[in-house]
Amino acid sequence: MTGGNIATDLSRVVDGLDDPDAPPSQKLPPGEWVKKNLFSSPFNSLVTLVVGGLALLLGFFAIRWLLNNDYEILRVNVANFMVGRFPREELWRLWASGFVFLFAVSLTTGALSRSAHELAITQELPTEKESFASFVKRFWAVIAVMLFFVSFARTAPPYIGLAVAFVIPIIGREIGWRLPTPIRRQIAYIGTTLLVLSVLVIAGTSNFGGAVLGLIAFAWVSAELSRRNVASGLASMAVNLGPAVIVGLVVWFVVRSIGYEGFGWEDWGGIHITLFTAVVGITTGMPFGILLALARRSDLPVLKTASVIFIEFVRGVPLISLLLASGLLLPLFLPVDLPRPADLTLAIIVITMFSSAYIAEIVRGGLQAVPKGQTEAAQAGGMSAFNVQRLIVLPQALRAVIPAMVGQFIALFKDTSLLSIIGITEFLRVSDIANAQTDFVGRGLFGVTYLFVALGYWAFASTMSKESRRLEAKLGVGSR
Amino acid sequence: MSDASINSDATQVGGTGEVMIDVDGVDKFFGDFQALHDINMKVGEQEVVVVIGPSGSGKSTLIRCINRLERHDRGVITVDGVELSDDVKSIQNIRRETGMVFQSFNLFPHMTVLDNITLAPRNVRNIAKAEAEATAFELLERVKIPDQAYKYPGQLSGGQQQRVAIARSLAMRPKVILFDEPTSALDPEMIKEVLDTMKDLANEGMTMICVTHEMGFAREVADRVVFMADGEIVEVGTPEHFFTNPQEDRTKLFLSQIL
Repeated sequence: MTGGNIATDLSRVVDGLDDPDAPPSQKLPPGEWVKKNLFSSPFNSLVTLVVGGLALLLGFFAIRWLLNNDYEILRVNVANFMVGRFPREELWRLWASGFVFLFAVSLTTGALSRSAHELAITQELPTEKESFASFVKRFWAVIAVMLFFVSFARTAPPYIGLAVAFVIPIIGREIGWRLPTPIRRQIAYIGTTLLVLSVLVIAGTSNFGGAVLGLIAFAWVSAELSRRNVASGLASMAVNLGPAVIVGLVVWFVVRSIGYEGFGWEDWGGIHITLFTAVVGITTGMPFGILLALARRSDLPVLKTASVIFIEFVRGVPLISLLLASGLLLPLFLPVDLPRPADLTLAIIVITMFSSAYIAEIVRGGLQAVPKGQTEAAQAGGMSAFNVQRLIVLPQALRAVIPAMVGQFIALFKDTSLLSIIGITEFLRVSDIANAQTDFVGRGLFGVTYLFVALGYWAFASTMSKESRRLEAKLGVGSR
Repeated sequence: MSDASINSDATQVGGTGEVMIDVDGVDKFFGDFQALHDINMKVGEQEVVVVIGPSGSGKSTLIRCINRLERHDRGVITVDGVELSDDVKSIQNIRRETGMVFQSFNLFPHMTVLDNITLAPRNVRNIAKAEAEATAFELLERVKIPDQAYKYPGQLSGGQQQRVAIARSLAMRPKVILFDEPTSALDPEMIKEVLDTMKDLANEGMTMICVTHEMGFAREVADRVVFMADGEIVEVGTPEHFFTNPQEDRTKLFLSQIL
């Protein structure tokens, strides 16, 4: 060993804690950063000054405009923006529904992330429970905008409601995380049941609601029985399905006979209806879209042609024309003695059709991206065509199209503003209604109300796109 | 079969003498191109048949016809006494008894190794989860990767993935395993571990048809070597005769190019 080597070795020791093999630090002191990134060349300096100047100017005008406005219109109409003309003395239903919804979602995600956590532990991958700080960071936009909206209210209950709505997801997540494993396995059914209940709190226990709950009960019981009794054949199918049918029917009749009265969706409105139609549109559009995509790839010419015609027709015309047609034309084709369906019912049917056609094309792209070898490997194992699609092809296809799917969801969420043209009081429409009130008409307050509405859309849309990126990253881990 | 050690007749079986696979007069077309031309071949129970030949000679097509990943156009294929027809039941029955290992592994990337192995037994044979998993752990032991059960395929090396694929096909307790160039997509240092696993299987008496370019494996393990070119069986023989004393010019040419 030469003297020089000893010297460097010594200097490393003297340097102390710094690891000599670590890459050099990329972090610059603030002054250096500004110099390197903003004023590195004359041209860069010019760009910085011009853009910076414009931004300052714009900021100045925006702030001046914001300070000089009259926000009375928001204070008077904040409840209209949130729920439209829903009866004010029944607002507790909407709060309760929101709480149940938040509880359902947080319970489910809590349970799912616990399952993922445990899988990661068996795989010896790094994993930890999500912290409170990360939860707030994920949903800060929605939390902040909701807080802002509520700040226009002149009574206490909205503040209390919002505080509860903030606490419930935290509690729900914690409960979901701590659920005993056997219950955690059933979370999909528990979550769906709670979601339906969150609607029934508002709409009352109708025949339809009972049927939906009965269907969930049927699916739940039959899945549970066939998991325990795997033997195939007609007899065991009867053993599995028989009790499930009975339980489903019992649930249906019990629910419809409760007679808890509610408010159908003729009375709904505001951001509530916007969120509701978007969620319903995408969740009902998803299964139809998947079926359409599979039909389009099918070998059966009838299925294939029907699916192609439907998809290309719906994608070929604007949503607005479908909505108008549903309001004006569809009732003409219905029997005269049938009561005209509510506007929202028609709208939801149209939106489901619309989203299913788009989802079908997205899913088709995903299906094509799954290598042929996957199907062959599953077939070679003797699996049925149905199971090959269900267990091998679809899971991979759907995972590949999450970003596109969320994009579609965001687009649909914003497209619900078109419901206003068929007379539904959705979020954006309230803005027009408010500006037509005698106190505010002709005062040019559209800017104020539109900004308010834009904030609402932005909070949810940006949170969704952030969540989709998170989901993508999560599902990508270790799966490819 | 000493007197028939080299000929173009592939219908004399080895192994226990019971016929497991019978391919009789099979033709296969892709459009106008004839991929298989009047193939006659039998494989006996517990026999290991290695199929070699230049690329495009129809080797893979032949074994893909045996479990109906490709549909043959003429002739009769019988596996363990069941004739392969267009009837979905007969296809399912044959696939159930026939494992397949692919060149590109084709493991299911969205499932753990354990789920990859237990999926078909649970879905096709209706085996309970606990039992299927116990079998899976035994099989992973057998292919010498018992500690990877909860990983995803993407976290494993190519050689490990291919051994999982072998375990997956074994999980169905097949009577035959078809190998479609199982080592062609592997790095050289991983080929040996897969070939060793296949040798173990052959020694345990599994009936196997292997399409491969690994001549060392063919020489050491095969009961018979089948040489194909241009969709036809050109020559058949025991490894020692085949590699030391080939009769046909096309075989000689092929062997001179690769050895």
